[in-house]
Order: sequence, then structure tokens, then C-alpha cells
Amino acid sequence: MPRRVDAQVVVVGGGPAGMAAALSAFESGAYPVFLLERGKHLGGILNQCIHPGFGLHLFGEELTGPEYAEKFIERLAKSRVEVLLETTVLEITADRVVKAVNAQGVFEFRAQNVILGMGCREKTRGMLRIPGHRPAGIFTAGLAQYLVNIEGYLPGKEVVILGSGDIGLIMARRLALEGACVKAVVEIKDSLSGLLRNYVQCLLDFDIPLLLSHTVTNIVGRERIEGVVVSKVNGNGEVVSGSERFMECDTLLLSVGLIPENELSKNAHIPLCPFTGGPLVDEYFSCDREGFFACGNVVAVFDLVDYVTVVSEMVGKKVGVSAPKRRVRYFLTPTSGVSQVVPQRIQEGKEGFLFLRSQHGFHDAHLVFSFQEKIFQTMELPLCYPSEMIKINLQDINWPSGEGEIQLSIKGEKICGIR
Amino acid sequence: MSRTFDVVIIGGGVVGCAVAWYLAHFDLSILLLEKEKDVCCGVSKANTGILHSRSYWTPSTLKGELHLRSLALFAQAERELDLCFPRVGALTVALTREEVKFLEMLKKRGRIRGAEIMGPREACQMEPFLNPSLRACYYDPETGVISPFALTLALAEFALLNGVNFAFGEEVTGFEKDGNKIKILSKKNRYWSKWVVNCTGLFSTQLAHRSGDSIPPQRFFRGEYFVLDRECAALTRHVLYPVPTEESKGILVSPTPEGNILVGPNFEPVEDEDTATTFRGLKEVEDGARKLVPSLPLEKTITTFSGLRPTLPERDFRIFFSSSIPGLLHLCGIESPGLTASLGIAEYVGEKLEDAGLTLREKAVVPRAAFPVFRTCDFRERERLIAENPDWGRIICRCEEVTLAEVKHALRASIPAVTLDGLKRRVRVMAGRCQGSFCGMHLPALMAEELGCDEKEIVKSTENAFYVLGKIEKVVKDHASAC
Repeated sequence: MPRRVDAQVVVVGGGPAGMAAALSAFESGAYPVFLLERGKHLGGILNQCIHPGFGLHLFGEELTGPEYAEKFIERLAKSRVEVLLETTVLEITADRVVKAVNAQGVFEFRAQNVILGMGCREKTRGMLRIPGHRPAGIFTAGLAQYLVNIEGYLPGKEVVILGSGDIGLIMARRLALEGACVKAVVEIKDSLSGLLRNYVQCLLDFDIPLLLSHTVTNIVGRERIEGVVVSKVNGNGEVVSGSERFMECDTLLLSVGLIPENELSKNAHIPLCPFTGGPLVDEYFSCDREGFFACGNVVAVFDLVDYVTVVSEMVGKKVGVSAPKRRVRYFLTPTSGVSQVVPQRIQEGKEGFLFLRSQHGFHDAHLVFSFQEKIFQTMELPLCYPSEMIKINLQDINWPSGEGEIQLSIKGEKICGIR
Repeated sequence: MSRTFDVVIIGGGVVGCAVAWYLAHFDLSILLLEKEKDVCCGVSKANTGILHSRSYWTPSTLKGELHLRSLALFAQAERELDLCFPRVGALTVALTREEVKFLEMLKKRGRIRGAEIMGPREACQMEPFLNPSLRACYYDPETGVISPFALTLALAEFALLNGVNFAFGEEVTGFEKDGNKIKILSKKNRYWSKWVVNCTGLFSTQLAHRSGDSIPPQRFFRGEYFVLDRECAALTRHVLYPVPTEESKGILVSPTPEGNILVGPNFEPVEDEDTATTFRGLKEVEDGARKLVPSLPLEKTITTFSGLRPTLPERDFRIFFSSSIPGLLHLCGIESPGLTASLGIAEYVGEKLEDAGLTLREKAVVPRAAFPVFRTCDFRERERLIAENPDWGRIICRCEEVTLAEVKHALRASIPAVTLDGLKRRVRVMAGRCQGSFCGMHLPALMAEELGCDEKEIVKSTENAFYVLGKIEKVVKDHASAC
């Protein structure tokens, strides 16, 4: 028979979000707290991110991914949080029964609170429907990162990278450092997808060309990939005929976006946001289903792990001290210029943050808040990029009286190319 | 291993393996030669995977006759192979008044109990995502869905269990008469047999030409497909057929036995064995499928692929003895419904050989036992499996919930997976929505350990389809010493 375990808190996923949430729930008085991680180690994706750049905001120092994770792993080891490794959650019911398996057997946790911290996964070739053959040598950038940094493999020698997301940029540098020839980073949009600093440090410093407004339109090679056809794309996202050129390579990496991993959330009937792909949450990151919270990339893809930690600690604290009855006052909706906003629900609007992403790069822009078709606040945004989250303190917003939908938009000058 | 056999089967696709399954019931020494590293690597692996019912048989053709014979054999095969192909039923959708006539013909042809023609309202009650402007639907309860790989592998495993020999990586290049036997030449070896069955699918007419037989070369028609996330399973529980064209059964929307939705195929002539997908082809499939299901959620695509139909001008199977090499039987033009008809083809091949002088003496056979699939077990069963072997509690692929126990079994089975694709087709690692971005991290090391080889020898499919170049330090060292 499956083992039944009662828990005050079950945290699903031992990446940066889950670790911080479990720790802070425990430190705020919750007991017992279970942290379930399917991998052999805590830390999630941080373990394969051996480059520096983590922790500047939170710890005031530049750490590598494993160093950042280590800070939490050490604290967890000293705490009485029950960490179960190599434990995969297979099902979560709407009334918070978490079913998991590991080599010991099947576990059924009956949880008062469930914190979702499953992170995200990478978009694949199939999702993009890139036509052509189906040879070996096509990897998502994160998979390649694991293969290089953890397993110590060289995936290939001549590499084309589709998509200018951060992992792709980081991997361009990583493979160049290992002696591979990175022929180009190909980006369908007219602007960079990843952080500007990664463009400078990973492409410019290594003379790796970035082809904006280009995409891969065919994959050639029956056994191992032999090359790709790269074509120019016009403003409407259509391929410009006659612009096709063949680029020889033995490896294609895809860094074309991340999807919050919410199959378990759907299973538990937790309402999701069409813009983020993650659960709809309020400022305490509680979901539209009682007893469920979510933090980190499972909610929306964050740009910096520091913010994930901040949010997750807040969630843990809230769960630890048992939140008062939820009462939502405002519903936030992204409109023109805004691609997503988190949280989408506001109770009091006094503590916590608003995280937004813009649809394009803008300069000299304004973030506009409207309620009942009237603008009630604007904020200046000198420069914003889709890759960088706009973070706003909730207490800086002058919430209107009443209840209902608040629309957010960005008005400003669009940036094309790289500035 | 002796190099002389009663029967040599060339080709380990569904037809070759079905012939092996059928002949394994008799007291014969048999060898199956396959040029790839695994069974089911050609035409058999990439098709719609439908068990077409009697409504869809084509009268006065060989393919029609063998289709009907095959349907009569499926119950026996499912018993012997410990497999079940769900009879999910089908709806054939007529969009015009003209097309309704075809539905009546299907009904008459099938004479299936419970089959009926229904109006739009009734049809849309059965399948709410169907095009509401349809005229009528023909409901056929006997249509089933097949995993082509699972069927082929099970047939092969049964054959192996009952004495059939298998040799992989054996590409047959020609034949010679040698006394009263046939000498079979492969790139690596020589084999002798009184009887040889050419089940080489795409290459069957080429091989027939090598034995000096005259037959028009097969033309290949490509079909492209989308595979949708299992999240879309509610899109249709039934196989949705359009009214067919002259050339093919048209573009279908179908559930798969694994729980995905399969959309396709189109019908496009191609030169050589080109299984690439194309923008145009996929668009054609999309447009075709939207006529059946207008709200088709193609944004939930997890992969696309294409397969080939090897066809003869008469658009029928042609199964004939070589005129120059006695005892050599060629199977050409095995296109749709080749998968459904495979068992019937096997029986027919057996009869042909018997008529020509092969003695078939029945022997006792051992049935095949399927290995458990963790995903389809309930939690109680899972608990039992884990108690038996902790590897059942170690999930390797989160999307398809595949355990280490299943992966190890596939790598150690009687016909083991030796490639990543082979592993994927057996246990569905890398076949889910993340397409291997997660389990692809762990599989090379796991496979290398199980197969006792270096990671750089791990291939996706064929000899040169290597997954990684190897450990970085080794690659660097090899490079340095080469310079």
C-alpha cells in the first residue's frame, strides 16, 4: 500500500524556488515541511549554470550557479526540512494529495499547503515545426549545457544556435571555450531575446555573429545533422524568398524560449494564465485554488534567480504563518506593449512586487495603469527590453478605490536591433 | 550459427516480422536479415497506425483480400503477443452531399454490426470538436489503432522466442543459384536457403531487379504528420477519416494507442527515400485536418515526421516468385493497408511457400509475455513493482513517466534497443512533450554502461548518427595526437 504522510507543507521541486520556499516556510514555523526533488541533487538548473552572475542583487557578490545553490543546500542540511531526492511527483489532486514515487515506494502526502516549484522546460524543434530531416545533433540549449558542464561531453564541433535566449548565448561562449566553432546565433526577431550583458560577454567577446531577423528553415542530414538552411524573415515573420543560404554544421542548439512546467498544476485544476503559462497568482503567490502556492519559473520565466529567491521566501513565510482568507480586489491584465504581468491578482497591494515583461524593446516609455477606462497612474521607463523584467514595488502603486480589472500598457518608442 | 536455413526472410519491418511470426508456428529453421540495427526502421515505423476495419477493404485486389484475411488473424496474434490494439471506432466525415454516397458504400461494404450513418448533431455529440458543418458521418465501431513499432517488435520477439534467428546490420545485395539452394549475398556474409522471402519495403523492387526479375520500380509517395501533446487527447476518441481521394485515404485525425493525437498524412510523390518534412507539406496537412476539426490545436505539436508509401502502378500488392531464382518470393508494392494486412500477408506467404513445396509441420509455440508499462499501472501495482525492484521507482522520463526498470529491460531484452531511437520506440523516453530535453541528459551514460561501450558510440539511429563526440578531454587528446 502507498505510504500516507501528513504534512503542513509539501514543496514540489528542489530548484532555487523550492529550496527558498521550503526553508522560509520551516523557519516561519511550519512543520513538517517536505521538499521533493526528482534529481540526485538539490539546486535544479543552477547546478549546470557554472558561469558567474548569480546573487549580485541578493548577496552583493557574483556567484556561479552551484555556489548560489550551495548557500541554500547548507541551510537546508541544518534545518529540519525533510528533503527527498530522486523522488518524482506523478500526480497532485485538487484537494492536495501529492502522489510521488522513489526507490522506496509510492508516497501519498496529504498536505495543508502545496508549493509548486517545478520550474520550466525548453521549447523544442517539434513545437517550432522546423521542417527537414530528423538527424542526431539537435539539442535544446539547456540539454547541451548539462551535457557539457555536468557530463563533460562535447556535443559537436561546428555549431549553429537558433534563438538568442540567455542559455543559447551562454552556450555559444561555453562551446567556443571548449574549442567548438560557433558559426552563428540566429534570431527570428529584430532584437535580442537574452540579456544585453550576455550578448556582449558571450558573442561580441568571442566574435560570434548574431543574425537578427533570420531563422532556420530547413534541417539537412539523415544521420548526424550536416547543416541548416538559414533564411531572412520580414517584419511580418514571413520568410523572404531567395534569402536562403546553407550553413554547414554538425550541431544545432535551440534557445527559443521556456515554458513553465504546469502539467501537475493542470492535474490539480489550478487555473493558469494564458500570458505566462503559469498559475494565476496574487501578490503572495497563492493560486486560484485553496492551499496552493507557486513560485519561481513555474509561475512565469524570471530573468534573475535573485528575484525567484525573494518571491519564494515570501511565499514560504506566508505559508508558515497561515495566511488570512484570500480576498482579491484587482485583476491585472497586460494590454498593448506588455506581454505578461505577475501577479495577476491583488489582495491588499501593500507588500511584494509586480513583475512585467514588455513586448518589444522601448525607450522613453511609460508604464500606464488604467482602471475603468481611466488612467490612474503612469511610471517612467527610460529603457526596457523583453529580456529584462520590470520590477515594481506594490506600495508604489496608488491603488484606486473600488474593485475590478486594472489594465497595464507601455507607450513609447520601439527599439529595433541592438542598442 | 549455421549459415543454411529452411527459410531466410529479408527485412525486419512489420511484414518481415509477421512472416517470421507466422512461420515460427512450424518446424523450420529460419533466419531474418535486417540491414538496420533494429526492427521497424523503414516504411513500418512511420504511418498512421490504423487497424482499418472491413468497411475499408478494397474489393477485387490482393491488398483487399489480404486485408480481410489479416483481420481474421488479429485476435490470435493479440493473444500470442500479449498485446491489445484498442478498437476505438472511427467516424468517416462527409462534407458534401456527394460524399454522403460514399458513406453508404462504406456501410454496405463493411456490413458491421453497430455501424451507422449519423447526422451532424449526433456526430458532434460523439465528437464535439468535429466540423459542425459536416453533412453526415459513418460510424464504424471496429476500427482500431496500432502502435506499428509495438506490433513489429512483438512479432519479432515471438518469432525469436520460438526459434527464429535474427541478424541485424545485414544488407542483402544479391542472390545466386547454388545447387538446389539460393545463396544470399550480404555486404558481410553469405547465407544459404531453399526459400527466401523479400520483405524489404521501399527496396523490394530494387532487390527484385537484382535477382533478374522484371517489375516496374516502386514510386514513393510521402506523407507528413503532426504529433500532438497527450494533453489534447480529448480532441477525438475516434479515428476521424475524411472521404478518401482516388490516391489515398486522405488526411486523418486519430488518437494513438499511447494517448497522443496524430494528424496526417498528405500524399506527395518524392524522388528516392526522402523522409524530410516540408513547410508546404505540413501546411497541406494542417488545411486538410482543419476540415475535420476546425479548432485543431497545432500549437500543441510535439513533433512532426514523414513516412513513405512504396507503390506500384496498379496500386496493389504484388507477391510473386522470382522467374530466375526458384524459391525466392518477392513482396512488392506493400503500401496502405500494409500494416493492417501484415498478418494476412504472412499467412499468404506461408501458403505460397507450401504450394511451392515447403513442408509446414505445426509445432507447439510459446506465447510472448509483455513487460509492464509503469505509466499504465495503478499506484498499488506500482508499489508492488518497486518492492520487487527499486528501479521501478526511479523515473527517467518525466513526460512519459518511464522508469529505469523499463529502460534497463529494453537494453537487455531478447531484441535489445541498441540506439536512442530504438529505446524511444520501445519505452517512450524522448517521445514526450519535452522530446528528450530532460531524459536526454542521462541516457547516453546509462546506455554506454548497459551496452558496455563508450558514449561516443551511442547513436540515434544509424552508424554515423552519433549523439555526442565523446568526453571533452578525450576529444581534445585525440585531436592533439592527430595533429
